[in-house]
Amino acid sequence: MKNKLSWLSIPFTIWMAIFVVVPILIMAVYSVTSADGLVTGENFVGMGDYAVVFVRSFWLAILATLVCLLIGYPVAYMMAKEGQGFQRVAMALIMLPMWMNFLLRTYSWMSILENNGLLNQLFRSIGLISLYNSVTGSNIEYFQLLRTPGAVVLGMVYNYLPFMILPIYSVILKLDNSLLEAAQDLGANSVNVFRKVILPLSLPGVLSGVTMVFVPSVSTFAISRLLGGGTQMMLGDLIENQFLGGAYNPHLGAAISMVMMVIVVVCMVVMNHFGEGEEQAVML
Amino acid sequence: MSKELIRLDRCTMVFDEDVVLDNINLNIQDKEFLTLLGPSGCGKSTTLRIIGGFQMPTSGDVFFDGVRINSVPPYRRAINTVFQKYALFPHLNVFENVAFGLRIPKTDANGAKVKLPEEEIHSRVMEMLEVVNLKGFEKRRTTALSGGQQQRVAIARALVNRPKVLLLDEPLGALDLKLRKDMQKELKRIQKAMEITFVYVTHDQEEALAMSDTIVVMDKGCIQQIGSPKDIYNEPQNAFVADFIGESNIIDGIMRADGVVEIFNRRFQCLDSGFEKDEAVDVVIRPEDVDIVPLEQGQLKGTVTDVTFKGMQYDIIVDFYGFKWLIQTTDLAPVGSNIGIKIDPDGFHVMKKSRYSGMFGDYSSYSEEFDEISQGVGDDEE
Amino acid sequence: MKKNGRLGGRLLIGLCFLFLYLPIFLLIIFSFNAGNSSAVWQGFSLKWYGDLLENRLIMEAVATTLLVSLLATAISTVAGTFAAIGLYSLGRRRREVLLTVNNIPMMNADIVTGVSMCLFFVAFFGLWGGFAEWFNAQQSFLELPTRLTMGMGTLLLAHIAFDIPYVILNVGPRLRQMDKNLVDAAMDLGCTWMQAFWKVILPEIKPGIVSGALIAFTMSVDDFVISYFTAGSSTQTLAMAIYGMTKKRVTPVVNAVSTILFLVVLAVLVINNVREARLERQRELIAAGQPVRQSPIVEKVSQTLSSPKGKYIRWGGAFAATAVFLVTVISLTAFTSSQPVVNVCSWGEYIDTDLIDQFEEETGIRVNYQTTDSNETLYSLLKSGGADYDVVVPSDYMISQLLEEDMLEELDYDNIPNFDLIDDRFKYLPYDPENKYTVPYTWGTVGIIYNSTMVDEEIDSWSCLYDDKYAGKVLLIGNSRDAFGIALKYLGYSMNTTDENEIREAYELVADANRRGVFQGKVMDEVFQTMEGGNAAIATYYAGDYLTMLENNEDLAFAWPKEGTNWFVDAMCVLKDAPHKEEAEAWINFIASTDANLANMDFIWYASPNKEALEMYPEWYEEQYDEPLDEEIYNIIAAPQEVLDRCEMYVCLPPETRALYNELWVQLGI
Repeated sequence: MKNKLSWLSIPFTIWMAIFVVVPILIMAVYSVTSADGLVTGENFVGMGDYAVVFVRSFWLAILATLVCLLIGYPVAYMMAKEGQGFQRVAMALIMLPMWMNFLLRTYSWMSILENNGLLNQLFRSIGLISLYNSVTGSNIEYFQLLRTPGAVVLGMVYNYLPFMILPIYSVILKLDNSLLEAAQDLGANSVNVFRKVILPLSLPGVLSGVTMVFVPSVSTFAISRLLGGGTQMMLGDLIENQFLGGAYNPHLGAAISMVMMVIVVVCMVVMNHFGEGEEQAVML
Repeated sequence: MSKELIRLDRCTMVFDEDVVLDNINLNIQDKEFLTLLGPSGCGKSTTLRIIGGFQMPTSGDVFFDGVRINSVPPYRRAINTVFQKYALFPHLNVFENVAFGLRIPKTDANGAKVKLPEEEIHSRVMEMLEVVNLKGFEKRRTTALSGGQQQRVAIARALVNRPKVLLLDEPLGALDLKLRKDMQKELKRIQKAMEITFVYVTHDQEEALAMSDTIVVMDKGCIQQIGSPKDIYNEPQNAFVADFIGESNIIDGIMRADGVVEIFNRRFQCLDSGFEKDEAVDVVIRPEDVDIVPLEQGQLKGTVTDVTFKGMQYDIIVDFYGFKWLIQTTDLAPVGSNIGIKIDPDGFHVMKKSRYSGMFGDYSSYSEEFDEISQGVGDDEE
Repeated sequence: MKKNGRLGGRLLIGLCFLFLYLPIFLLIIFSFNAGNSSAVWQGFSLKWYGDLLENRLIMEAVATTLLVSLLATAISTVAGTFAAIGLYSLGRRRREVLLTVNNIPMMNADIVTGVSMCLFFVAFFGLWGGFAEWFNAQQSFLELPTRLTMGMGTLLLAHIAFDIPYVILNVGPRLRQMDKNLVDAAMDLGCTWMQAFWKVILPEIKPGIVSGALIAFTMSVDDFVISYFTAGSSTQTLAMAIYGMTKKRVTPVVNAVSTILFLVVLAVLVINNVREARLERQRELIAAGQPVRQSPIVEKVSQTLSSPKGKYIRWGGAFAATAVFLVTVISLTAFTSSQPVVNVCSWGEYIDTDLIDQFEEETGIRVNYQTTDSNETLYSLLKSGGADYDVVVPSDYMISQLLEEDMLEELDYDNIPNFDLIDDRFKYLPYDPENKYTVPYTWGTVGIIYNSTMVDEEIDSWSCLYDDKYAGKVLLIGNSRDAFGIALKYLGYSMNTTDENEIREAYELVADANRRGVFQGKVMDEVFQTMEGGNAAIATYYAGDYLTMLENNEDLAFAWPKEGTNWFVDAMCVLKDAPHKEEAEAWINFIASTDANLANMDFIWYASPNKEALEMYPEWYEEQYDEPLDEEIYNIIAAPQEVLDRCEMYVCLPPETRALYNELWVQLGI
């Protein structure tokens, strides 16, 4: 069946060329030209003004990725240890929220985190706020939760946690049980089995999870806007602003997008280097 | 030599109401090569896993050197395992795989954690790699090795920890015939050299006969017979053992007196005794113990129905009064010819009736059963 | 110890799910709220589910979402499957190169994919325009459209482009695992290649295709970012509609529609799970050698389906489903293309939506009503070529800017007789001195909105915006023009100054307050939620919107600062080369009528420029609601002349000043 069928890849190649490669090339052209059509490096130089945004985006995205990893790994691990029926239900439950628009879910967090929101009401009713006031001598009515960097990180973790759990889970699930027994047999207690066998073998899953959380986190724009209250501008906001926002400048926007793409390429190279975890990751 | 090392005392194992092991008693001597032999599902792997500590018996006790070890986890047992499909760590190279157990900090008598010095680890690993003929492979990835080499890494990885007992779970199942024969010798050599106990699980009777000091034949969760290879072959205790080990014609007979057994209403001389008079028994006659003689000299007369050339001998199926025998002989008798046979007294082996009586030993539906059993590839139990 | 570990694990998983589902439960609960807040419970009601059917914006968005997702899934599943087969028949090297390219859209940040697609379409449309003009000039036989815009087509293409990789990624491994001899075996047994494909390859890779299609569909439905950049203005997916709303107020209707969608998927999942569990149990039973009992109905159905006759039922069912789908698609497209259309772009919650229905009924012109959230966004949309609006409703200063760049079309006032009803105060304003381009839509003022329970002084000056006393409780208005304009006014300068030093001084004032932590955040329409929920003390916003907030929180108060403020006019204009100019003028005329102005004024609380409507409103209100209109409220809607005297209208700033605003604004934001 070789060769005979390979013509089927031709339309695909053409399609990919038109809808993936050409748009990126156009974006590249935009990034090195000015509005007058002249070639310029100004767009990249001008990005220096936004260094703070870059730093913040990376910082918050790294934080979110770490938190996702800290929550996602144990959850994935515990899930893989459960019975089949439990696993099936848990998988369905992890996929299910995707069917409710992420903006809406994020918006829902606003009403939880607001100064008079659910969480602050809870804190007030259990006396946490008065306790805080009596301990620190301050006089606050609420904790400022919304419109803080923490809220943005929470939004990212909330939205992208499944992307961390799924790949790790599928890698751990595929671990050969006899490897774990072999390690035990060779004298490793459960801590050592985890540290020396499970952890290194689940690394491909972790890496693909990290990429799948980090990339959307660093480029998010709606989440930072909703939960950051406009005070936590991120790269995504910056790009959106150049195309559909107040500061219309698609050339700068394209340049920032190019930088972001380079980051993604680096991530991909790193991942390919570490193994084939990614295919399993997106296969559910 | 005969110091008891491991004892299973009335061990029973039940999974979801399935009795996998039924009241097993087994003694394993120090430095012996003991083989658990049986068809898949007979409980041999479960027995091994109980010894290894991967499973706890539902009831009964396991003793190691006289100490009850039921709840001692695998990592605290001086026992190591070679797994069925080797279970080599794919993320470590050959050296690190072998060094794995050595790198785990041990707790000494005072409860302090002790780490082996790097030089010692290195020398022990290299020494062990030499034992298994894998010098020069240290840096290789295990996934790039052949089956036989992976096998030897797995053995080295287990032995480097200097266990008192090595458990081997069908370790040669995935190897081809030639390699398997070589590895059998190799294993035997290693066992002799290391002077430790091997507990070997297999479903291949030839392998068991070739390597073991002691064979434990198991079926349906019960031990059918324990003995040396010779005992097992020559003196099977029941029809199952007789059939499972080698080829056997098993015929209903009656013990008329000590040394006299009656089959097909004819009395034969035999060497067995100790049965009651006129007791119904199973009589085993190995195919190679039957001689073809001219019709008139035959103790029994039959018709040849099938002949297969097997290289060293012919497998001939002969019909005796409706019962089909397998006879292995170097003399060719053509299909359809009538022949006589002669059996010497030591060719008979008389067994008590058992639950297996009547289930084995008739070759009327002779197929490649023999090949099926001996070549069955990597069957999974449980 | 083992038991504890297991329990702990379950607890952890449970907490994780609580975290994932808490907001969802909240959403579902508030879809049954009697009020329109998503924070304050006002009693149980099903009214939003009823409203759902009448809410055209949302219904259309849902329809678009489902249509695009289904089409994109269907196309990309078929295309992706064949592409995967092709890929796996290639040599290893070439396959890996192509697979890497295949991974790009999946691994790339959505926003990068969206942006590159957007630029691609814009570039393509430019080229196409040139080609079509040349082509049309060459011959007269076939006339090609010269102006293409983003819409359903580009949205669909973008979705297919990002769906295909998921399909390939799921089908690929199946193909790789497939025994290469299977096809040979089938052909050896007499199958033609096609038969081998249907009978061997397809069943073998079916699980991959199914999961690929499922993931593609999920991704399509869930996607927002790529759609946002490629859908243009006339098409809106549910996600985009919600994004528009999150800025102001998400109507619980969205909660309702999401709840329904969620429950449907939940039901499908539950059924599927139960089925799988049963299959598993059957397998176990079979393994244990026990007979399998199916429930009689299931048995009957499965028998019918698997019988030879069932073949016709299966084919018939598939055919019927396809037919229904096609008819829906065709009728939808036919319905949308045959009618005259006008594309309107306005601000969120800026119209009484009944007016749209009324207009459609009267004229038979379909109104495609879109919203954006600020003048600047509108400007960007127009510039990027993504929009094909006919009518826009920019504010005064933006109108000047659009005029400067020659982006507006002159109106034919003969078609807009209702223009005469407009108060002379709002005609011939500086942004359109000869009044050739605009018809005013509303006018209003900016003022301070504050929560009287959190502020115990009389607010009469902008100074409170920069006061440490209210640290963390002030909301800064989220656009540069207003934020700096207010600061300029407070400092005693003109809001329209071009003096860099004055602007920088204003910036310093805002930036300093920002550094001191006075501002809780920068908000535009989010101000509604925040102020209504009592989450901030002070905000600056439009007078009309204050009254909307007042309906939901009686503690709110409004003031015009003594330093003066901005007053604005939003006016309807038609864009240059608008394809539906006539319909656009009909729409403008309709909206300029007294009735429409009254309805609008009542709905959005912004003052009407229609003289008659403005004067009649208190009477009309009393008639409508059987209670007199509070004079104070009327004054806030229609600021009295002495307030307007203190106010300034924005004029269009020169490009250098705009650039300075932008630069300072970014500096403030970062």
